[in-house]
Amino acid sequence: MTRPAGDVERHLPLKAVHHLVLLLLAEEPTYGVELLERLDERSEGRVRLNAGSLYRTIAHLTDEGLIEHAEAVVPPSGRGAPRKIYRPTELGLEVLRAETRRQAGLVEAARSLDLAGGTEP
Amino acid sequence: MNPPALIRWLLRLYPRAYRDRYGREMREVVGHRYATAEGRSRLLLHLEVAADLTWSAAVVRARRAGSWIAEGVRGAELDLRFVLRALRRSPGYAATALLTLAVAVGANAAVFSFVRGTLLHRPPYPEPDRVVLAWGSNPANGQVRDVVSGPNFVDLSRRAESVEALAAVHPGDAVVVEEGRPLSLGALDVSVDFLRVLGVSPALGRGFDDRDRTSSAPATAIVSQRFWRERLDGDPDAVGRALPINGEPHTILGVLPADFEFLGRPPVLLPLRDDELAADDRTHHHYWLVGRLAPGATAGAATTEMTGILREIAREDPGLSGWSVLVEPLTRVSVEAVRPVLWILGAATGLLLLVAVANLAGLFRIRSLGRADELAARVALGAGRRQVSRVLLLESGILGVAGGVLGLGVAWIALPWLSAMAPAAVPIPESAATVPVLRSSLDPWVGGGALLAAALAGVLLALPALPRALAARPLTGTGGSGRRVTGDARGTGSLVVAELAVATVLCLGAGLTLRSAENLVATDLGVETEGVLTMYVGAVDDRDASGRAAYFREVLTRVRAVPGVVGAGVNDYVPLQGEDDFEGVRFPDRPPPPPGRGIREEWRRVSEGLFAAAGMRVLEGRGLERREMEGPPSTAVVNEAFVRKHFGDEPVVGGRLSLSPEAYRDLEVVGIVADVRARGPAEPAPPVVYVPYQGEPRGNMALFVRVEGDPRAYVDPVREAVWSADPSQPIDRVFPMRAMADRALAIPRLTRSLVGALATMAVLVAAVGVFGIVGFRVGSRTREMGIRLALGATARRIRREVVVGAVPLVLIGVGVGLVAGVAAARAARSLLYGVSPQDLASLAIAALVVGALALTATWLPARRVSSIDPQEAIRSE
Repeated sequence: MTRPAGDVERHLPLKAVHHLVLLLLAEEPTYGVELLERLDERSEGRVRLNAGSLYRTIAHLTDEGLIEHAEAVVPPSGRGAPRKIYRPTELGLEVLRAETRRQAGLVEAARSLDLAGGTEP
Repeated sequence: MNPPALIRWLLRLYPRAYRDRYGREMREVVGHRYATAEGRSRLLLHLEVAADLTWSAAVVRARRAGSWIAEGVRGAELDLRFVLRALRRSPGYAATALLTLAVAVGANAAVFSFVRGTLLHRPPYPEPDRVVLAWGSNPANGQVRDVVSGPNFVDLSRRAESVEALAAVHPGDAVVVEEGRPLSLGALDVSVDFLRVLGVSPALGRGFDDRDRTSSAPATAIVSQRFWRERLDGDPDAVGRALPINGEPHTILGVLPADFEFLGRPPVLLPLRDDELAADDRTHHHYWLVGRLAPGATAGAATTEMTGILREIAREDPGLSGWSVLVEPLTRVSVEAVRPVLWILGAATGLLLLVAVANLAGLFRIRSLGRADELAARVALGAGRRQVSRVLLLESGILGVAGGVLGLGVAWIALPWLSAMAPAAVPIPESAATVPVLRSSLDPWVGGGALLAAALAGVLLALPALPRALAARPLTGTGGSGRRVTGDARGTGSLVVAELAVATVLCLGAGLTLRSAENLVATDLGVETEGVLTMYVGAVDDRDASGRAAYFREVLTRVRAVPGVVGAGVNDYVPLQGEDDFEGVRFPDRPPPPPGRGIREEWRRVSEGLFAAAGMRVLEGRGLERREMEGPPSTAVVNEAFVRKHFGDEPVVGGRLSLSPEAYRDLEVVGIVADVRARGPAEPAPPVVYVPYQGEPRGNMALFVRVEGDPRAYVDPVREAVWSADPSQPIDRVFPMRAMADRALAIPRLTRSLVGALATMAVLVAAVGVFGIVGFRVGSRTREMGIRLALGATARRIRREVVVGAVPLVLIGVGVGLVAGVAAARAARSLLYGVSPQDLASLAIAALVVGALALTATWLPARRVSSIDPQEAIRSE
């Protein structure tokens, strides 16, 4: 079933944090604390979220239907309450692709203007 | 490092649902941040985490509120459409609720605007509560609110410290010439400090001041704004102009503000000079006093102080013994006559509101029960109970607001009618002063309050019906609903009883006020009201007694010659207007009374032919004759009240009496005339001595003309005849005697009409309520009736059962209403005239009217249900 284009377009452009979170979850679905650690790592400390802003992002992406959480899993330690594992929805993946295309288009445009610096192979 | 308690507490800032969803994970993340924060500043970490949690909580809450509002607006729009559709489907219900509210809100807004405009009217003076009237009072002689003499006024104003300023006031006359004819406009003669007492400054020019205190000062006047606009063309340079008033040029000193009022709206103020006031006879009571209380002083303190001053004066002048001063706030005294009537009206409208409230409560309840199935279906289809409640409350709220708006329309239409029915002026009880009744308009506060109350009533009255409506279950909401609804409807019986009881109270009240008013209308006023024309003529105060008498003698001769005039006479005043005029009375053949116990009675100077012209019956002896109108007066006629008070069983005709004025010493009583209700039909006639006028005639007298046919047809010929005696003399207050009587009866008639109208509305509203409730109860038994009809019961029997079933409710309602009504009437006994609170006829009529209407309202649904096809009835549910 193809989704109407408007459904995807509505979410574009993605905010940087939303984009990053979607990307990380697309790489590998995960739970809150690990997501936080990967965000720190992947952004080299530039995107440093705390509990409030992290879950505001998760809540927003969930409410927009871009991510969902899978069955809870028991932590590796075997102690503590089960954790929700967040992953992108079909819509979330489509939005991620569309956002990537959009950004690729921007990079292409920058390149044609010779603004991409010394990265040209 | 573990997060401190404060940080964990900050999680509580999030909405509960959010906490349920993410709280545990957030705590874990916070814990992780603290666990991996080795080497960082603790304080910075606390601040960073706290700021993040707080800001995020604020953003989450703001988003939720925003979405609630958006959702609320969307939901409200849908609900509104649903409610309007539902109301369109039940036009009978909607119309009944709207009409009930419109009637109740309209009547209340109109009456309370009237009450607020009249009872709570604040005269346009600064600190009006400090403005007081000071009366001469001699209760032992029956004079409670009497006038005060000039010298006493001067002494009181100089010595009393409880008043900042005191002024003497007397209704006077301002005769101006218009189109060549003298026109009497009426004026207020006031002492110099009058405007200072009221705290009023003229809009143009100046008020009276020290330059106007003595009689050597030039003649001056202050005119009303209307006078200035209409007679001086609103000329801004009018101040300083000379204007002929009472035949003498008066310099216009100032123009009063547009809203100026004092016991009416006097067109002209003329100054009373201090030296003339001081030189007057101390026992010649003549002026009302108006004062402004000193800061902190009370009317009671002023009464005590001024009475003390008067007692001191009385030590030197025994003629003043027994006199005291009564000081009362103007704002209180001026509404004394109308206050009880307005309370009655307020109570009657309040009762109407009660009937309407009971009616609406019943209607809403029936409505919610009748929609049980529909509501149950809505709940079954996923509508939450909150949404169903919202729809029900929205519906009753919309009806409330719409009914309120309609009610304001009703009030807007009713108020001018109400104002027109009210008398133009009412007397201040026990005094000769009158106050105008103000024309009311719809008060914005009352209107706004009524609208709010209607909307609130809509919502609040629907609340009790909610639990039942919400208790409807999809499965029980269908099928056997008939029985359940009947059970629920049983509570509506008490509403029927309440409505009928209140309607009965109002009906009884209406009956009693109707009978009181009829008794008042039927009261023998002692004067003929048909075929008599009255008017005040002359302003001949500047002539001596014989000159004045000659003028009135000439007027009488000319008027009697007018074709169609049967007779004519003059009197000091036209009765029924609260006028009074007292003089000392002595009986030469009796021992003189002790000082301070002197008799003062009303006296009237009259001409021959007055009794016949005014229709006053001579009961014994004879009236005054033409020959007695020449030379010093030697005869007098007294009325029945005078005989009762001073003669008892002693022979009257042939007795002797003396009056204080020099010209009226040693008079022989030659006859007794019937009492005239001078102060109105409800007030007993005061004792009066009638004497020939020529001894000391007033400069302005009341002319009574008895005519054949309609007195209004004689206005012009009689006026021409009066002017033929002296074209420079004014004529004013020309009225048929009938109009005077009608004015005197205006308040009882107003009460009768309004209470009657309110009672009619209450009975109709109650009947509609009974019809609705009984109709619903009967309707919910349609299936049962159908089965019984199918099993052979006759329609007649079914009808009878329904009607008879309602009889206990009607009997209880009417019974409770009668008992409460009699109790209320006893409390308001002073407003009844010639009828007892437990008047049998009124009780019977109230019971019959309410009972008959209630049973008719029962019979109509009974007829409907008994005439349906049994098969259809069984299928109907």
